[in-house]
Amino acid sequence: MISPNTSASPLVLSDVTHRFGEHAALHDISLEIPAGRIIGLLGRNGAGKTTLLNISAGLLLPSAGTCRTLDIPSGQLDTPQLTRLGLVQQEGRYLEWMTVRQQLDFNASFYPRWDRDLEKRLVEALEVDPKRKIVQLSPGDRQKVGILLGVCHRPSLLLLDEPISALDPIVRKRMLDFLLELLRDDGCTVVISSHILNDVEKIVDWIVALDSGELVENTPFDSLQESFAEWTLTSTNGALPETFAEPFVITHQGDARQALLHVRTTDSEAVTRFAASHHVEIRSRPLNLDEMFPLLTSQRKKQP
Amino acid sequence: MPPLLTIDLHNGVPAYRQIMDQIKLQIATGVLPAGTELPSTRALSATLALNPMTISKAYGLLEHDGVLERRRGQTLIVRERPADAQLTARLDPLRQQLTTAAYLARQLNVSPAQAVKLFRELLDSKIP
Repeated sequence: MISPNTSASPLVLSDVTHRFGEHAALHDISLEIPAGRIIGLLGRNGAGKTTLLNISAGLLLPSAGTCRTLDIPSGQLDTPQLTRLGLVQQEGRYLEWMTVRQQLDFNASFYPRWDRDLEKRLVEALEVDPKRKIVQLSPGDRQKVGILLGVCHRPSLLLLDEPISALDPIVRKRMLDFLLELLRDDGCTVVISSHILNDVEKIVDWIVALDSGELVENTPFDSLQESFAEWTLTSTNGALPETFAEPFVITHQGDARQALLHVRTTDSEAVTRFAASHHVEIRSRPLNLDEMFPLLTSQRKKQP
Repeated sequence: MPPLLTIDLHNGVPAYRQIMDQIKLQIATGVLPAGTELPSTRALSATLALNPMTISKAYGLLEHDGVLERRRGQTLIVRERPADAQLTARLDPLRQQLTTAAYLARQLNVSPAQAVKLFRELLDSKIP
């Protein structure tokens, strides 16, 4: 049985801001990634997910603030830490003239812990032909090579930027099963950004969400599932009001007889009280990640 | 034989909740009698392709609720429970279903007498 390693966070950002010219890609992010979990990094296009992952891996230095990766500043990551860090980029750069086999051997030579058995198993599971030249690979196959290069050294922190977008559903499932295996066997911490929420939903247990460069959510997935709901209201006595003042009501649509609300509350009595005070019957349904996504990623505080 | 659990990962109910509810239901219906050993966190996590944290959370809460208990080191078994607790455990899932039915009855303007009559008929009929 694995015991969650709650001691040291493998990734800590403190007041991190990153600017590209005038544009702030990340704004004042403070975040401690919990160890031994699979974290879903969510956000719309341009929210800052890739920038956050690149800073974490030391590929970018923050314009302000600090990022500590595997307990040292990410700008000073060196051999002992880099052999424990895995990064799979959206569009990885490889040695195009090599075959997949050569590229794997090349990368393996840098890592004392490179796991040949794991590599063999993944080459089969992901259905990669090691004899093909990198330059000839389809986008999906390039993504598979990226995954192989990112995980075969059995990292303890694995950063995945849209790693499954080009994979077919069968290979995608194998990939997700494999991530769970890494978590079970090695207690690896995985940060995964993806828009394929149906898939991510199966494995993540923590959600971090960004909106236009700001951190808007950092919560266990269970708690999110238990606090978001869709309420269908039916009036039992008179017309429904046009708006509801309760702060936990996020969205509201409907007319005088029926209404559909999206709510967020951890108070289990809220539904009973709401029904009594507005004279309504409420049918409550939990939301899945797809339905939560627009609510999660538009929480940025309105600029004054 | 491990308990057969079907987890719907897109219905918004946390997976640990679904595991708990299904194990409780299987105990209440007698599919899992007292003393039955449950698979390890690791094994169940692999079978269901779920995060092991999810399994240990479900197991932990079931243990806390007195539904399961730990024996011989780490093995979890179904706990023997007194008759009144067993009755509550059997009524709980029924109450959940009937709550939805009651809501619908009110929406459809079906009178309590008519609704109860219908439920009686369904209880008496052999057809599912």
